Amino acid sequence: MATMKFTLALFSAPTSPASRRALRFAEAALAGGHEIVRIFFYQEGVHGASANLVTPQDEPDLARQWQDFITAHGLDGVVCIAAALRRGVLDGQEARRYARPAANVASGWALSGLGQLHEAVQQSDRLVCFGGP
Amino acid sequence: MATLHVLSHSPFADSRLDSCLVLMSVRDGLLLSGDAVYALQPGSAPHAALRTRPAGARLYALEEDVRARALSAGDDVELIDYPRFVELAGEFDRVNSWL
Repeated sequence: MATMKFTLALFSAPTSPASRRALRFAEAALAGGHEIVRIFFYQEGVHGASANLVTPQDEPDLARQWQDFITAHGLDGVVCIAAALRRGVLDGQEARRYARPAANVASGWALSGLGQLHEAVQQSDRLVCFGGP
Repeated sequence: MATLHVLSHSPFADSRLDSCLVLMSVRDGLLLSGDAVYALQPGSAPHAALRTRPAGARLYALEEDVRARALSAGDDVELIDYPRFVELAGEFDRVNSWL
């Protein structure tokens, strides 16, 4: 198969199997020599960008795995800002803007709009969405 | 346009599988992942429904999800891993996830 450009969209929380499937797909795509243009975290998927998640030691920490994966490969991880704000996932700028006591977005993430998903899809061969259970 | 349909909800919980089967064309594929692999349970209504897909439409299931539920798959099901999932995403013209 020729090299493909993928955009991935994740709609489910890091506690869901869907988040794990998305990560395994992303790993396999890069291992296969393909390109990931952008990973867009939408709806419950925005919780993956929170640095405040504490996962029990005997469970896989998907939020941490996502962050490590995105950092290690220099990927463009974009979090939907509207979905993030309503779920209390804020970076420093948004915490100041709305006078909230703390920011919790881990480093390596960018809060931005749906336009970033649209733009990435235009630059990609395939959009693959992961959501549900 | 050939579409790879991806299901992850249990077929016993909602009607996504039935809706998907109605929409499928002969060149489409169906990938069962997560709890959607319960449709492979022999003797169940969802298993019978899978047979109603258009002749020629391919059926795939994520092997680790099948094994995790101690299910087995018939000869008409290709059990796949993630590298193959990526390959399929390229072979089909688009991927439609039933979120």
